[in-house]
Order: sequence, then structure tokens, then C-alpha cells
Amino acid sequence: MKIIKIDKNDWTRGIDKSRETYQLFGPVTDSGQSIFKQLDKNAYPEMGGTNSVMSPKSVLFPQTEKILAASLDASMENHHIMQRPAADYSRRAVIGIRPYDAKAVRLVKLNFDTADYRDPYWCDAHGATTFVGLAVNQPSAVDFSISMGSGPFGEEGLDVLLVDLEDHYLAKVLTPKGGAYLSDAGFDAAAETDASLTTIETMQLAAEAAITTTVPTDRLQEKALLDLHGAPFWEDLAFTCINCGTCTFVCPTCWCFDIQDETKGKSTSRFRNWDTCMSPLFTLHGSGHNPRGKKTQRVRQRFMHKLKYFLDKYDQGTMCVGCGRCVEKCPVNIDIRSICSTMNAYDPKDVA
Amino acid sequence: MAEKRIKIVAFLCNWCSYGAADLAGVSRMQYPADIRIIRVPCSGRVEPRMILAAFREGVDGVWVSGCHPGECHYLEGNYYARRKFVLMANLLSHMGLDKGRIHFSWISSAEATKFARVAREVAHEIVSLGPNEKLVKKAG
Amino acid sequence: MNNYTKNIRKISSNLLEDGRVDLVLGFKRGTLPMASVPGIARTPEEAQGFVWDTNCRLNLANYITDQKEKIGIIAKGCDSRNIVNHIMENKIPRDQVYIIGVPCTGMVDKNRIRALLDDEIKEFKEEGEVILIRGAGQERVLDKEAYLRDNCKICTHRNPVIHDDLVGALVKEQKIEDPFRDVAAIEAMEGEERWNHFEGLLSNCIRCYACRNACPLCYCPACFVDESKPQWIGKGQDPTDIRTFHFLRAYHCAGRCTDCGACEEACPMDIQVRDFTRKLVKDSFEIYGWEPGLTLDRRPPLETFKPEDSDKFIK
Repeated sequence: MKIIKIDKNDWTRGIDKSRETYQLFGPVTDSGQSIFKQLDKNAYPEMGGTNSVMSPKSVLFPQTEKILAASLDASMENHHIMQRPAADYSRRAVIGIRPYDAKAVRLVKLNFDTADYRDPYWCDAHGATTFVGLAVNQPSAVDFSISMGSGPFGEEGLDVLLVDLEDHYLAKVLTPKGGAYLSDAGFDAAAETDASLTTIETMQLAAEAAITTTVPTDRLQEKALLDLHGAPFWEDLAFTCINCGTCTFVCPTCWCFDIQDETKGKSTSRFRNWDTCMSPLFTLHGSGHNPRGKKTQRVRQRFMHKLKYFLDKYDQGTMCVGCGRCVEKCPVNIDIRSICSTMNAYDPKDVA
Repeated sequence: MAEKRIKIVAFLCNWCSYGAADLAGVSRMQYPADIRIIRVPCSGRVEPRMILAAFREGVDGVWVSGCHPGECHYLEGNYYARRKFVLMANLLSHMGLDKGRIHFSWISSAEATKFARVAREVAHEIVSLGPNEKLVKKAG
Repeated sequence: MNNYTKNIRKISSNLLEDGRVDLVLGFKRGTLPMASVPGIARTPEEAQGFVWDTNCRLNLANYITDQKEKIGIIAKGCDSRNIVNHIMENKIPRDQVYIIGVPCTGMVDKNRIRALLDDEIKEFKEEGEVILIRGAGQERVLDKEAYLRDNCKICTHRNPVIHDDLVGALVKEQKIEDPFRDVAAIEAMEGEERWNHFEGLLSNCIRCYACRNACPLCYCPACFVDESKPQWIGKGQDPTDIRTFHFLRAYHCAGRCTDCGACEEACPMDIQVRDFTRKLVKDSFEIYGWEPGLTLDRRPPLETFKPEDSDKFIK
């Protein structure tokens, strides 16, 4: 394990140096909100802030992405033939991504990169990206990442893990990709491995101890799917939901999208936009029938997908990484932590 | 005139203002060719989203015209329209759209002269503002 | 426990006990500090979970649209005005709601309070008009009045305008000298500046439609943004589409908006969406002398007319 020490006085210089070979993305404050964005020439990632409102999933999966385009001008070559537009897939680095968000990228990969189907847009972006994570020293009150198989110092999905130690960072080099980024940034002061690991471990234990919320998930897998689906608690649980898409849009693992064609003058484009299972339109059939026409069905879908269907299909844990964004941002505070507990504890025999 | 030819969409009610346009035409009156007419049953039928749809498609101005108060074919459609338009035009201008891009008029089917005159006024004002960039949907 | 909470629980459980309502809609303690969120009670026991504090920012009238059951509803001034709207617009008959009125002294602005501490608020306590917030290493005592939401600061209908019961004595209504100062400030800008003001406002919009869905006025079975024949508006992040959505959403509230602030409360990106609706509130008032939701006896401005309405802007 290679560990690099980065003095904070060298930080901005290194970031600037890495701009020569990487497009940088990171958390910045825009109109008072912390969001992940491509960094302008003179912008630096705001390290150490609280959890960003929007997750970094947009770096690989923009909210609106043009996937095909064509010219309708008959005088042009290949007119009326939809083609993938040119996009910049040169090397990018996401600086300051939190461990649970990196884990989320891993989970999203299960959907976009399978043996049968490979989403070229997401995969190309993913292949180009180096994830330089920042460990969470002070987890927020809504952080339950440990319960969801991640954690404040989780390394899954990361290429580098930075640990903030006041005047310097210790950078754990987790992959060759990560090593390449650090050397391009000129961060090459190797730290003494054993001592650094001990320091990191101490901090990790402290951070983990600060997370007091535990959400039980151990029995989700053994539940019969239809029992949970037919459980009586959904109706009351969904009553206060206002059916906005906030939870799905702030979620780092929600990957659903909708396809839209737009034609203007002589050009036509096909876009994909984030979609949300909270919207009735999400499942509306051409016939007019809607299998999830009722709010309760839609709310159930979101939690069943995250905490049951995904689990059953991939056997890779839940499709929730415990970042707490939906808990915090839901206008009516529908809390996935308590719903998960309810599902985990549900026994149809108790109801009958 | 600006380089790009100005386009104005006119929503004219079937019973009065559209008749006036017709009469102006058969009477060979001159009015600017910048105006594209959409016939609607009543000025009360015109919804804000139709006006926004016009801007979205790239028109430079919108003109809505109906019967004079008290003369609506449906008795009171234009009275409702009048209230709707005040609030809508105010909010659009509040959001920063140039005030001179939206016009309203009452023109009866006999008032071909008024139709031609208002058409000139509307076109003049919108031409002087130049092409509109706001609320226009650009090709993606 | 404050008296309001006590009385809300008592009245609600009595109603449920006597079978006079099927359920009561109120606020319950959420899982975060400063989150008092909508909740329902179907039994007197469940009604013991109701609370009242200065975080009950959402509008409960949002939940009574087209309900079939008999509903008891906790209503502060603005909620009660939206219930009046609902009754007027035939979304629920008057006798199907039992309105438990709450004379309100305003709700606090959670964002301004959060900004006071360097880190998260771990505890929020309210004693009368004084608020105590506690973070990891900090503590602040606040005067509630100074941290009211913008709409609460200028509210002149704190008492429920319609109610079947009250949880406390009526409060004194505020007299506001210049209620539309905020709108006037935007009006005073040049056209381009106004355009940029709204452009900046919407730069973070993620189109989750929380503003629309938190609003009791937005109950159309198919919203214009969801229509496809014709499709009025694109679905992506195009700025024109975003602005068109916000314009039309606001316009649909013309003459109906009670300025309850639920839209802003729900917005995950803290966008001041009231900047759109406030202009309509002002115009409805100044042009038509109309404040929504105060009476069942007059029809709202866009549903009626006067032959002598102003023609000034018409050629």
C-alpha cells in the first residue's frame, strides 16, 4: 500500500497542475447549494464541507444528456440518420467524492455495465474517470453508511482515498489510476506506510463511532417478496408523500432515465433525462393504463427496489449507500432508515 | 429592419378580429407581412401556455385580439380573457420579457381599418425591439 | 408540551373516539431536528403523536384533495385559506372537513437558522417565543420573531379564517405597512436585470416538482408539464424549459395563492420560488382587491369579471 502525504500548502498547486491532464469535477457552492460540477479554470473543490445536496452521479450520468443527433437537411451527408454526438471522454477526476458516493458508482455500474448490455455513455465516462475520495471525519447525523455496507472511510469504488489531517492529507493510493492522478498532480511525497495506516485507522474508528444510527438489513433477503409487497404499512407510510422527485434526484444510486426526442429546425436530438419512479408518468402505458397509478404503489416501488428487488437480483447488498440525502431533503421527511427497519422486521404472521 | 425577419403570431377570435383581418384583406388594405394569424374560437380560449409556446418556437411577438367588450359571441369570453391577460402580461414582464412583445386589442369584424392600423402599430413596436431571445427554445 | 399540542391531541382524539371523523391530519415530529412533518391519525392513540411548534411549515390542505373520508384537519391561517379555496373549487365539500383551527404566530425559516451554526443542528427547542438550538459544540438562543419565514413576517391572516374548533385564543393580526416591498424591489429593476434575477434564481432547479407537489393549488390530474399531445414544454435541463415551467406553475396559482410558503419549504435546492407567485398575489390584490381564501361568498378574480375592468392595456 502506497501512501502519499500532501501538504495543504501544495494542494492548490497540485490541483492546478492536474488540470493540464484531467478535466476536474468537485463540490462547489452554487447559489448557496453544494453541488458537484465541472470545475472552472479558477475554481477549486470545496473539501471538507458538509454533504453535497446533489450527489456526484451527474459526472457520469448528467441529468440531461444528448445521446443521438441527426441533421434533417437533405443536402447533408448522413441526414436523417441518428448518430452519437461527439463528446469529451478525455481523462477526468472527481475530487472530494465521499466514500458512500463512490460505492454508489459501483452499484450503478451493475445496471449500466452488464454482460448483456453496456451503456456506452455511462461506461465511457466511467472509464475516463478517476475517483479521488475524501474520507468523512465528521459524519452527519443522517449518515448511516455503515449499515449499508459503506462507511466514512470506505474504499470501494475509489482510486485514491484522502484523509484530512488538518494541515495535510494522507492519500491512500488504491489503484494505478489513482497513482497516475497523484503523480500528474505532482503529489509524490511518500509517507511512512505503517505509521500512516495507524493514523488513518485511528481516525476511521473515531468516525465510525460517531455514526450512531444503525439500520438493520439482515433479514431483508429472507423475506418473501410478495409478503413485503402486500404489507399493510405502505398505505399509511405513503399518505404524506407529496410525490415529488426529490428523493430520486438527490439519490446517488437512482439510475432511471427517460428518453425524449426534440426537433428544432433542421436538427433533431435524442436526450435522456433523469426520470423518477415517483411520477405517475414513469409507468404510464400508451394504452392509458398505469400499473403504478396510485401514489402508494409508487412509494412502495422506490423502497422495494432499493431494499428488496435489487438485493434479490444482484446479491450485492441494498441499493442504498446510506448517504442520508433523501432523509434530509424529503419535504415531508419520509425516512428510509425507519422504512428499512419496518421492512426488515415485518412478519406477515404478526399482522394476521 | 433587423437582419432576421420578425415573426409575430396573432391569435384572432373567429367572430370579430379574424373577420376584420379578412375584410382588411378583401379591401386590399396594406398591413405588415410579419404577422402569422392563428384563428381561435374566442380570445378567452387563448391560454398563457399557447403564448409561451409561440415564444418557445421563436416568434418575436404575440398579439391577441378579440371582440369589443359586450360584443363577444359567447357573451363574456373576452371579459375573462381581459383579466387573464393583465396578470399574465404583468408576470411575463416581471420576469424580464420586454413589455412591447405582447399586445392585445379589441377589433370588430367591421373594423378593417383598425385592424390594419393596429397591425402596423404592433409590428412597428416589435420590429423596433428586434429579434427576441428570451423564452426561445434553442436546438439542443 | 405546549398548550397547542395538548389541545390538538385532545380535540383530535375526541373526534376519532366519537367517530366524527375517519382520520385527522396534523403534524408529527420527524426524524430530524426542525422537522415537524405531516402525519395522520386514525385512532385516538395515534393522535397522541401530534405536535405543534414553529416548524409546521407545510400546508395540510394539500392532502384533502378529492378525499372520500371524513377528515379532521389542523389548520393555521394559511391552511385554512387553502381549505376555503378547496371548498370553492369543489375539491372537498365543507361538511367533509372538520377544521381544527390554530391561531399562528408564524413559522421559522429553517435555512436561516441552520446557517447560524458551523455544523449541523442537533437539537431544536422552543419555549414560547424563544428558540434554543444546539450543535456539536455551539448553542444559540434565538428570538423566534426575528427568524420568521419571509411570508410569515408579512402575514395578515394568522388566525384561521374558517374553523370548527380552535386550539387556543385568537392572536393579534399584524398590520403590515408595505406588504409588497419584496415585489416592488424586483419591479424596480431594469428589464435585463429582472431577467437575470430569475435566471440566477432557477440556476439550480432540478425539476423535481416539489414546489408544485407541495402546493395545495396544484391538483390537476394531468399537469401541463406531463402532457404530450401537444408537449408544451421539454423535459430536460434546458433553461427555457425550466423557466417556462416556473412561469406556468406560478400563473396557475394566479388569484389563488395564499402565500403559505409550502413551495419554498419543499424545494430541495432552496430556490425562492415565491418570487414568481408574489407578483400575482400583489396584482390580484391591487387590481382586483382580492385576497384568496378569505370568503366562500365571492368568486376568485379569474373566475369572474366586471364590465368596467380596466382596458388601458388593450389597443
